[in-house]
Amino acid sequence: MAINLKPVDVAVIGLGAAGGVAVLPLARAGLKVAGIEAGTWMDPHSFKPDEIYNNVRGLLTSVPKANREIPTFRETPSSPTRPRPAVHPMMNAVGGTSIHYWAQSWRLKAWDFRTVSEVKKRYGASAIPAGSTVEDWPLAYDELEPWYDLVEYEIGVSGKAGNIQGTLDPLGNVFESPRRREYPMPPLRRAGYNDHMDEAAKKLGWKSFPGPAAINSQQYNGRPGCAFHGYCSRGGCHISAKNSTAVTTIPEALKTKNLKIFDRAQVTRIATGADGRVTGVLYIRDKKEYFQPAHVVLVASYTYENSRLLLLSKSKAWPNGLSNRHGQVGKHYFGHWSGSVLALFPQDMNVWYGTPAQATLVDEWADDNFDHSGLGFIGGSSMSAYTEKHPIDAAAMDTFGRAPAWGSGWKKFVRDNACRWTAPYIQTNTFPYENTWLDLDDEVRDPLGDPVCRITSGPKVNEVRATEFTQKKMEQWYLAAGALQVIRRTPANPTVSTHAYGGTRMGDNPETNVVDRRGFSHEAPNLGILGASVMGTSGARNPTLTVQALAWRTADHLAKNWKSIAV
Amino acid sequence: MLAGAALVPITALRAAGPTVFSESQRRCLEAFVNRLVPHDEYGPGAVECGVVEYIDRSFSDPLIGGKETLLAGLEAVDAFSRQSHGAPLADLPPETQDTVLIAMENNSAAVFGLIRRLTLEGMFCDPSYGGNRNFAGWDLIRYPGPRLAASPDDQRVGIAIKPVRTSVNGAGRGH
Repeated sequence: MAINLKPVDVAVIGLGAAGGVAVLPLARAGLKVAGIEAGTWMDPHSFKPDEIYNNVRGLLTSVPKANREIPTFRETPSSPTRPRPAVHPMMNAVGGTSIHYWAQSWRLKAWDFRTVSEVKKRYGASAIPAGSTVEDWPLAYDELEPWYDLVEYEIGVSGKAGNIQGTLDPLGNVFESPRRREYPMPPLRRAGYNDHMDEAAKKLGWKSFPGPAAINSQQYNGRPGCAFHGYCSRGGCHISAKNSTAVTTIPEALKTKNLKIFDRAQVTRIATGADGRVTGVLYIRDKKEYFQPAHVVLVASYTYENSRLLLLSKSKAWPNGLSNRHGQVGKHYFGHWSGSVLALFPQDMNVWYGTPAQATLVDEWADDNFDHSGLGFIGGSSMSAYTEKHPIDAAAMDTFGRAPAWGSGWKKFVRDNACRWTAPYIQTNTFPYENTWLDLDDEVRDPLGDPVCRITSGPKVNEVRATEFTQKKMEQWYLAAGALQVIRRTPANPTVSTHAYGGTRMGDNPETNVVDRRGFSHEAPNLGILGASVMGTSGARNPTLTVQALAWRTADHLAKNWKSIAV
Repeated sequence: MLAGAALVPITALRAAGPTVFSESQRRCLEAFVNRLVPHDEYGPGAVECGVVEYIDRSFSDPLIGGKETLLAGLEAVDAFSRQSHGAPLADLPPETQDTVLIAMENNSAAVFGLIRRLTLEGMFCDPSYGGNRNFAGWDLIRYPGPRLAASPDDQRVGIAIKPVRTSVNGAGRGH
């Protein structure tokens, strides 16, 4: 039998990028919050510039729970399930994956929220990708703008505004939707490579700009500016210059004394009453089972676990899983498309140090920033020329058809060129489709005996075309920067992804969406859901800031409407 | 005499203590990785750089997967070598060893890929893991070494960055 704990107002499942933000407005509003987290506190002194530890073995990120619950993947219900990766970098910890993410901290564009309407208006209804289940979001960019602003200033984001209330500034991203004010910090320092790529973009007439980062470019809220030591990806920040929720919103929430953190606590089910309302959370800690009663539950695990936890939480009131009367849990899932391009330069580019968010970006070929008439696809990709490379990865380079894969010829080639190649980060506007969803695997189980999440994801046409289009633009950019040779690889359908969206989509129509425009379940009114699992489009950029703005907004709505939601 | 590091007898590079390899497996792996990264005018070979020591230590750690695949793969390499050339890999001349590696690359891509990947790790890892001995791997590719902060000058295009040669885990500083 589970050990009953003292009831709280709100139980938040997961203290990562989303839950770690939501606890702050809740705690500040005076609500008693239980933050239930499968991982624990990480010690910044253990964050090392060590490629074997961080990147090859994934030892910082490979905590057991996350790795025992890696989803399975298949293309169609009749195709074989592929072997699961041994390590997936989504992390259980206080702060979650915001500890070791790249911290590119973007707002989406107004177009991302109203893609269906905008595409129909400009290109006609036939331009909506066949088989897509995309809908307009139930809120417009303007409604989320105040929350973007709040999060940017609370956690600290470095960047250069390109559009302040309609006034464009070519030093920033002129394609961004209007913001109320400048970023709280100037952009990160630029590396030589960033300047080099910036000059090349300008030669092509493209409006390149420095990317936004949840990394301090100068001292902010008592923490130092970035040291650019080059071990940011899958590594934690040794000086806490990366603004994970573990060093920003969570400590702030703890100061109120209204947040209690239950770490190493693995949530197994969300409990419900006979009337279908959520009553609390069951979790396991040190092999003992606990029941944490709560008036309201906010689910803030990762996209795969959000759907999985709802599907596992079956009861008399919820025979098909919690909040799943319309069979929408797991639907409208998608992984973010990306395109691989490699460039070989004639001189040392020296991108060893820095951080992936230290980037020169081009947005000309993303979203609807160019005329798509006759192109056969919608959307496009942002393109990022960034720094940070580690020695094993550098030496594992493609030999560009210029050398063998081993022996003295290979050795001479990497001696000359390991310093001389780069790859961009291309992120493609991605949409949900009928042939792509999440459910529970019928064979693979976690050590507790619960089925893991299963991804089914069939082929896409629009995303392939959009990605191939921007890969060619990237090639053009590289050649303008003096690259000797460029390789474009065939775009691949994403499998288990660190940019996973949907499964509990947000929308006004309860027949096609799990949560309403505030982030609360259409069916279980005291259940809220946080994370990219509520997003119906990806944008051509990283999801985290949008996730955090939505999380703050949902938490604020809860605090302001406490009596009607908690009843 | 080749330029680069002085030739050192392979046996002198073996660490004392427990190993995951049988004697024949170790000889096979040493021969294999020394063809992937030979001692030549560009610098020391894989065994001199500690690649086998790196692999041995890795697979002594129960958390690191792939040991059984590697050991079975090494047996398969020697079996193939005996069958096609009448002797285990380590006893063949370098040119003949290369024909065995080419056959493995074409017909046993998983084993070949695993050994190549482990060799890259052992060549270019932090030396505290047993490889990249004397920072020879980092010197080869001009990796300027981990540091806790990088200056603007450490990030310029087309310049030689002054290397820092210490291990993040203490090796290389006499610890």
